[in-house]
Amino acid sequence: MKKLQIAALILLTVAGLFFCLLGSGTLALMQSGLMSFLSPLSQSGHTVKKSLGSLGKDLLTLDQLEAECSRLEADNRRLRAENNGLRDLLEENNHLRQALGYREHSSFLLTPATILSHDAGVWWSSVKINRGAKDGIATDMPVITDRGLIGKITSVSDNVSEVLLITDENCKVAAKVEGTKEQGICAGPRIASGDLHLTFLSKLADLQPGQKVYTAGVSGGVFPSGISLGTVKSFHPRELDGEAILEPAADLDNLEEVFIVTGAK
Amino acid sequence: MKPVILFFLLCLLLPVFLVVQDLLPALPPARERLQLFPVLFCFGVLALPLTPALCFALIASLMQGLELLQFQSGHAETGVAPYIVFFLCWTVILQMASEATHGLRWELHALASALVTFTMLGGEYLLICAKRGGLPLDSVLLMRMAVPCGISLLLAPLLYFLMRHLVPLSSEGAVLKNQASFDL
Repeated sequence: MKKLQIAALILLTVAGLFFCLLGSGTLALMQSGLMSFLSPLSQSGHTVKKSLGSLGKDLLTLDQLEAECSRLEADNRRLRAENNGLRDLLEENNHLRQALGYREHSSFLLTPATILSHDAGVWWSSVKINRGAKDGIATDMPVITDRGLIGKITSVSDNVSEVLLITDENCKVAAKVEGTKEQGICAGPRIASGDLHLTFLSKLADLQPGQKVYTAGVSGGVFPSGISLGTVKSFHPRELDGEAILEPAADLDNLEEVFIVTGAK
Repeated sequence: MKPVILFFLLCLLLPVFLVVQDLLPALPPARERLQLFPVLFCFGVLALPLTPALCFALIASLMQGLELLQFQSGHAETGVAPYIVFFLCWTVILQMASEATHGLRWELHALASALVTFTMLGGEYLLICAKRGGLPLDSVLLMRMAVPCGISLLLAPLLYFLMRHLVPLSSEGAVLKNQASFDL
């Protein structure tokens, strides 16, 4: 083996050891640096994905229209296709108006954000959003939609932040059940299934499917009180406590626009 | 193509693969995520001579570790050390396999991609369980590991045939490897 290769291997070992011994603070800075480095790629990728998605939708609609109107005149088909395009725009317009209305009527100070990507990690549930330290975003800020709680900010870089979703086992939320005095801790299971588990309830709790669950807002906690978490799907007593399975209020698989709670009004 | 140019090209592709796998939607029915990163890692490690391969593995492990790093009350849950150890161990194993098969082959790349994906996901899960306590096992867990592993197996030949002209293959590859000589 050449001397140069031996030197390179020694350097690599030292570098490997150095990175292995880094503390949480340095790792957080490095992660923030990586997120900043990747953010132009993520944003461009998100734009391309959105364009491709809408292209797919248009093609699908055209296919459906062709199937339905195969015997109609060519002009008629063109007009129908145009009409469909306008309907998409109207839907998007309504969605944005709804979001804007929610932001104006909410009792929180909200910063709107767009979901860039869902992290590919299999055992963690997190997403990246297009807001960062430059927009006043900090770790532990709650993230919501007009339907309910989404999660909290865990990492921040200049332009991109990472949101840990409520379906992750590590995102624990103090919760209360509507119409009862029951309170518990809500979190996702280790192998995320899309449902939430509300634990530490009374074994004798009388919970019915459909009952709503809100954040309890404990003092010194991350999440303010009264944000919708989900609805009860089922309840079963365990050895020491009761556990309810909840369906999240927000559709976490199809997130597009979210709001970061930056303070109270 | 010279190994040094290939090394830099592969390093440029690392962030691209990281972003693309994040942008891909989860697959039904159990919301499995596609893992493209191990496929590129295996290609790089099999195609490069030992020293650049180890450098590439170090960079790949840092990126993967930092990308998946989760903080709980300001403390990193897993850190990057397990990823460094994992990727470097696989680099040594794959280099030996590459020597044994006289260079990069598509079958070896596909098999390695699947194995690296499976062991990476399994290792991550065991690490999480060690940190958080308990070891829940069920059929969904197996699906979460098996489906990405199977998809890596299918995607690996695609990447291989897209990039094959960049590297000397099979017996030619052995010549390149001999320049770096594996006998430590």
